[in-house]
Amino acid sequence: MPLEAPTRPRTWRRTALVVLAVAAFTVATCIPAIGGVELDFAAIAKNWRFGAEKIGQLMQPDWTFLPRTLQPMLETLQMALVAAVASAIVSVPLTLWAARPTNPNGITRRLVRGVINVIRAVPDLVYATVLVAVIGVGALPGVITLFLFNLGIVVKLVSEAIDSADHAYLEAGRAAGGTQTQLNRVTARPQSMPLYANQWLYALELNVRVSAILGIVGAGGIGRLLDERRGFYAYDDVGLVILEILVVVIVIEVFSNLLRRRLV
Amino acid sequence: MNAATPDAGVATTPASWPIRLENVTVTYPNGTTALRDVSLEIAAGEMVSIVGLSGSGKSTLIRTINGLVPATSGTVTVGPHTVTGLRGRGLRRMRGHIGMIFQGFNLAERVDVYRNVLVGRFAHTPTIRTLTGIPTARDRELALRTLDSVGMLDKLWARAGALSGGQKQRVAIARALAQEPSVMLADEPVASLDPPTAHSVMHELQRINAEQGLTVLVNLHLMDLARQYTTRMIGIRAGEIVHDGPAGDATDADFERIYGRSIQPHDRLGTAT
Repeated sequence: MPLEAPTRPRTWRRTALVVLAVAAFTVATCIPAIGGVELDFAAIAKNWRFGAEKIGQLMQPDWTFLPRTLQPMLETLQMALVAAVASAIVSVPLTLWAARPTNPNGITRRLVRGVINVIRAVPDLVYATVLVAVIGVGALPGVITLFLFNLGIVVKLVSEAIDSADHAYLEAGRAAGGTQTQLNRVTARPQSMPLYANQWLYALELNVRVSAILGIVGAGGIGRLLDERRGFYAYDDVGLVILEILVVVIVIEVFSNLLRRRLV
Repeated sequence: MNAATPDAGVATTPASWPIRLENVTVTYPNGTTALRDVSLEIAAGEMVSIVGLSGSGKSTLIRTINGLVPATSGTVTVGPHTVTGLRGRGLRRMRGHIGMIFQGFNLAERVDVYRNVLVGRFAHTPTIRTLTGIPTARDRELALRTLDSVGMLDKLWARAGALSGGQKQRVAIARALAQEPSVMLADEPVASLDPPTAHSVMHELQRINAEQGLTVLVNLHLMDLARQYTTRMIGIRAGEIVHDGPAGDATDADFERIYGRSIQPHDRLGTAT
């Protein structure tokens, strides 16, 4: 005789309702009459020819331009690395202070989280613009911008990962009469290392991409060259730079995956 | 250092401490009352088991002794310390004299055995020194000695996560012994282990009690382990003590009263191989 399975609870009604609500809300945000954004799709049909020419040029990178890109690319890589390493070092204590299991003190934890949220709220282009004005055009304002940008990402993501993980070893340390600093130094920091490593490597990759934009305001690296060529409408050169950034990002990703596998 | 502690100046065998609970009630923030008006006296050097089903309150009871769970009302006294009311530095100093082992071992799995054992020296080490990562010669000596006593010295540089369950619990015992404790607490120390390993860990606790005269308090839910390894058995059910007597004399009827149901085969672990 076949087994009688218990009746499966029916949830499709609620699922359908949620999907419908999300769809309706999304459509509503695109209706200007009720305060939505205006999406003029007709403009694509009108103007696509102007863009097509640029895209055509982008797709045909000018390889003779390559030698001129190497020095700025190297500068970008150096900026990305320096900022990533500096933020990695500073992120270690800040992250442990920002997570509940490694900092039960609500006051200092909220203080660190607040500072990190302020750092994250300011757009990176604003940092770069202000720092270029203060320090001058060059790599340093770029490095400081990337450092702050990385710090925000690493501290937020790693402290949240620590919050959601299980930390039985902390109970043992507490039972042995350790201070939170002792527990963090000897157990929580090494236990959290894979979480850190993931975000540090991600930050490094992000830096290469972000520095392409920071160059627009004069914060050094490949971005400055990219902005210059764009200014001259030399889209074949721009295409080459984008291709180079793609290659570098892929190389970093391959390298990160190798490292990650060894770390875990 | 705390000159009032009786073990001050004694390097090898610290004094064993008695434990006293007076009308202790624990109510968790979610409203659950885990202990109801529990009074209990344990003499220095006793080997006591606390027996009860899961949820009976035995985990809470053992945690009130080192203040991991604060008593809502009543008084807990361990040796010269009144646990209830202690906070901050005073609480940490007192905990430094109470070793504890856990069902889940609670080791830092990515950290080597050596550093896991040094966790037991925290209360006796200034935070600044811990930050440097360099233990004193005496702490190093203690870590090696306690690891050797549980037969784990050859695993000194192994990651805790790479060890088997029984090995992990031995390292956890070494960590507790490195505290040079005056009381040893064990919360279901063998519930995650297979029967032969469980017996060897219970033997270890028995040996610590016999050789060092250490007060040992161990939570168990298996009746044969309580009978075989401990001298006094306290039964707890729904947060109240329902039995207290010599462990060897405890009858099946006593266990049925503690469990609140008839005895089932899984209430026994079985004999050692």
